[in-house]
Amino acid sequence: MPPDVSVRQLVKHYVVPERAGGLRASFRSVLRRKHRLVRAVDGISFEVDRGEVVGFLGPNGAGKTTALKVLSGLLHPTDGQVDVLGYTPWDRRAEYLSRITLIMGQRQQLFWDLPAADSFLVNKAVFGINDAVYKRTVDLLTDLLDLGDLLTKPVRQLSLGERMKVELAAGLLHTPRVLFLDEPTIGLDVTMQQRIREFVTAYNAETGATVLLTSHYMADVKALARRVIVIDQGQLLYDGALAGLVQRYAPHKTITVHLEREADLPDLNGQAELLSVDGLQVTVRAGKDDAPEVTGRLLTQLPIADLSVEDPPLEEVIDQVFRGEGP
Amino acid sequence: MTIRRATLAGALALTRAEVADMFQYRVVLFLYSLWEVVHPIVYLAVWGAIAGEGDVGGLRLSDFAAYYLTFMLVSHVTAAIEIYTFGPMIQQGELSPHLLRPMNPVWVAAARNISYKSVSMLLLIPVWIGLVIILRPSFTVTAGSTALFVVSLVVAALLSFLVGTTFALLAFWTTRSFSFWEIWIGLTFLLGGQVAPVELLPGFVQNLATALPMRYTLGFPIEVLLNRLDAGELALGFALQFAWLIAAALIVRTVWRAGIRQYSAVGA
Repeated sequence: MPPDVSVRQLVKHYVVPERAGGLRASFRSVLRRKHRLVRAVDGISFEVDRGEVVGFLGPNGAGKTTALKVLSGLLHPTDGQVDVLGYTPWDRRAEYLSRITLIMGQRQQLFWDLPAADSFLVNKAVFGINDAVYKRTVDLLTDLLDLGDLLTKPVRQLSLGERMKVELAAGLLHTPRVLFLDEPTIGLDVTMQQRIREFVTAYNAETGATVLLTSHYMADVKALARRVIVIDQGQLLYDGALAGLVQRYAPHKTITVHLEREADLPDLNGQAELLSVDGLQVTVRAGKDDAPEVTGRLLTQLPIADLSVEDPPLEEVIDQVFRGEGP
Repeated sequence: MTIRRATLAGALALTRAEVADMFQYRVVLFLYSLWEVVHPIVYLAVWGAIAGEGDVGGLRLSDFAAYYLTFMLVSHVTAAIEIYTFGPMIQQGELSPHLLRPMNPVWVAAARNISYKSVSMLLLIPVWIGLVIILRPSFTVTAGSTALFVVSLVVAALLSFLVGTTFALLAFWTTRSFSFWEIWIGLTFLLGGQVAPVELLPGFVQNLATALPMRYTLGFPIEVLLNRLDAGELALGFALQFAWLIAAALIVRTVWRAGIRQYSAVGA
């Protein structure tokens, strides 16, 4: 089965005008305008199989959103080939647009002064959804997203979280097979973020949809994606399992021991750094390669009640990747 | 060119929603529309003063009243608002959600145009009827001229919409599409039958007005309704109006295709 998404050497460059602040620079720019080339996406390639949920990670300005916009047909690329469901996205064929969605955090597709139900009816007509399918989909989305009476309130009276749920539902009325989600939980409280995550998982399980999502919240990525693609400055840094990313880039492990009684710490030969001592709980950090030996020494030389070895938090690992540190 | 059935259904649903949305702003709409009533009265007052008890080029005060009262309705129906509605959408990246639907976003501009006009027309008609009673124009209208008027008005509205859309689409390249639009507004003021009916313009300017598209978005339907044209002038007028309509449709299509390749506005 061919992959749902196939990207080959995708390049998107922008030319942006540039000038320093101040009146003099302003006058100078009238005579001679300076431009700068921004390499938003600079030759990335990857594939996403049907039904996969992939996290698209990168710092601000890495090119994630630009890539998603090219994939959903909003932008023409500078170079490269993209195939999604057998279509070239920027041809913007009606059959293609009927099978994908791009949901951007805080982006408005709803009529501000009208109840969302009115905007839903517009989408129903535009996507040519028949009455029975429409009703079934709205019922499903209402159930999964707990929409309740949100659809009958004017959109301007909804909270940010409520609006995001309704925006999500509006973008999914035509039951797309490929979902591009750009920061779907941005600005939402923890409960609502959790709700959206559960929804994406359920939607993926229910419909077998392929999902490519960007998020700044690692909790989103951890909960949803088993595979991540990391890009920075328009280039692909990592493509593989989330667990593999941690294994490859995490420079150290955190070892926490609970002692049965007070005891002196053994000499760790500079292989580990003492992070904290809190009563009978001791936490040390050891290099990835040294961790087994340090753990062994702690186990044999201390009266241990409990011991755990953990990877550093995903945020720290990602930060490591972005700073170009690591293996 | 074929239009998908879902596109037409979508455009209709969109127009319905836009009308509902417009009703939220009825006071603002009324004030906008009021301006469209007021400014032809200024032209009428000036021409009325010049004509006095006599006439100017065969037009008496009551003829000017008929011309500018018709002008009020025609200019409202054919007003191009796309530079204010569609242009900012492109500039501020609000086009994106519409580009994700299987329907050209130009339909969004069309739906907004139709809804604005239908809602504000409801507010405008009573004011217009009041003015007809006060100004007592001499309408020389026949059934034939009314039928032709309807055709020319619809074509004028379409042509004007396409011209407005073309200027709005310049937002793909420049943040100053308004400046270009001002040139069009200025030319329509002079040559479109606004500051003076085209028949009163001096020879060379009148020929220019006949050839250029501005008259076909405004003055021509008024001249048709008020029987100011002979058969030859009518035939030439309709031929040119349709020719400009086709040209404008092709231009919009070309500019749209080029613009969408260019689309990368901040926040696009």
